[in-house]
Amino acid sequence: MLVTICIGSSCHLKGSRDVISILERLISLHGISDKVELTGSFCMGECAKGVCVKVDDELYSVSPATAETFFNEQILGRI
Amino acid sequence: MNISLDVSWKSLNKHGEELCGDTVGILKNDVSDIFVLSDGMGSGVKANILSTLTTKIVGTMLRDGANISDCVETIAKTLPVCSVRHVAYSTFTILQIFKDGRAYLVEYDNPGCVLVRSGKLEQIPYEVHEIEGKKIRDCSLNVALGDYFVLMSDGVTHAGVGNMMSFGWGQARASEYIRKACSMNNLSAPRLTSMICKACSDLYLDSPGDDTTVAVIHAVKAKHVNIFTGPPQSYDDDAVLMRDFMTSPGKKIVSGGTSANIAARILKKKIVASIKYNDPEIPPIATLEGVDLVTEGVLTLNRCANMLEQYNKGDLSDRFFDSLDADNGAAMIAKILVEECTDLHMFVGQAMNAAHQNVGLPFDLSIRMRLVDKIRQECEKMGKTVTVRYY
Repeated sequence: MLVTICIGSSCHLKGSRDVISILERLISLHGISDKVELTGSFCMGECAKGVCVKVDDELYSVSPATAETFFNEQILGRI
Repeated sequence: MNISLDVSWKSLNKHGEELCGDTVGILKNDVSDIFVLSDGMGSGVKANILSTLTTKIVGTMLRDGANISDCVETIAKTLPVCSVRHVAYSTFTILQIFKDGRAYLVEYDNPGCVLVRSGKLEQIPYEVHEIEGKKIRDCSLNVALGDYFVLMSDGVTHAGVGNMMSFGWGQARASEYIRKACSMNNLSAPRLTSMICKACSDLYLDSPGDDTTVAVIHAVKAKHVNIFTGPPQSYDDDAVLMRDFMTSPGKKIVSGGTSANIAARILKKKIVASIKYNDPEIPPIATLEGVDLVTEGVLTLNRCANMLEQYNKGDLSDRFFDSLDADNGAAMIAKILVEECTDLHMFVGQAMNAAHQNVGLPFDLSIRMRLVDKIRQECEKMGKTVTVRYY
């Protein structure tokens, strides 16, 4: 599963860095780093919805506060 | 011969002085670059006025084609006479480097220019003239690629006098230190300037007894750097900008997510963005085939512009160089601009970025134009040639 996190200016200001570190932590906690690949991307053109996160080709709006719920539902839920 | 110049200078103020009595000036005309280092008599405001006047007068006159006798005569008749000492006095060193590779060096009462060529100290064959009762020495020579010219005020040769060294550092020891430093591979002018100033500051036990100034002029091959930032106003200009950008020789930097996406689309290559945050405030960099460096836009350029400003304010400390060597997009651009660039070309798109009109963000993202201006100004202060094209 490919999870792409936008690190463009706008999403950065809305907390990309925290979202990335939360997801990295949860992925290693659940020992699924062989199944999930985290990667970055510049602006996805949906800044109003930032932080933009794509799971395969589906776009989600995530914030540091919702990152864990997002992980449980969209990443863990699909494995 | 095609020679470009990597230039840097720094002054240490005499202990307790707010103003420096030494002044460095850089002037350019179509055929040459002119560097003037002047040391005004005394210290503080009086010395500052004398050296500023001298630098401006000599530099401007030479730039506009006057000969050295005219310059000296003008200075002798113009400088205000000190009410205490009843003399008007300011030393100077002038180095004029022509585009065709010739150089003209003139000195009046400053320590001699140090020239390091292929790792050796080069003896400069001066001729001595008397103009207006002043002993002036000059020399015409040819510049070789890799030459380091070091101009200095007597604060350098006197460093440590009566303290660490009874008669100060001295021209011979200072020259030898410079020669050794120049044997380091790819030593840039800013680093050499910093090393010499650090050595002086150490000899003065961090409390300089005199204004101390070093200017380094390093002859290098032209190092062109191109920066593409900001999407063009019209979609049709994307390809025009990219063609101009990619065909311009030298390093290529793309700064901005949207700009990077445009570059990737036109180059038909894929951007690979890293998610490694080495600095919490600066978004990670990315890679794109055909481009040397891809970074986020305004946050990165903002930090970069501040670093350039810090450098121009005279901060050549170890801590500054450490921040320049740091592994983040802003430091990478700043390092390239400070140390690996003689000519900067900016390709700037002026479209309003819809993504940045988003209220409620803790940083004003719509300041690209101001950052471009600031980077241009700071690079020009360093003596680099800058061109900016808008799309």
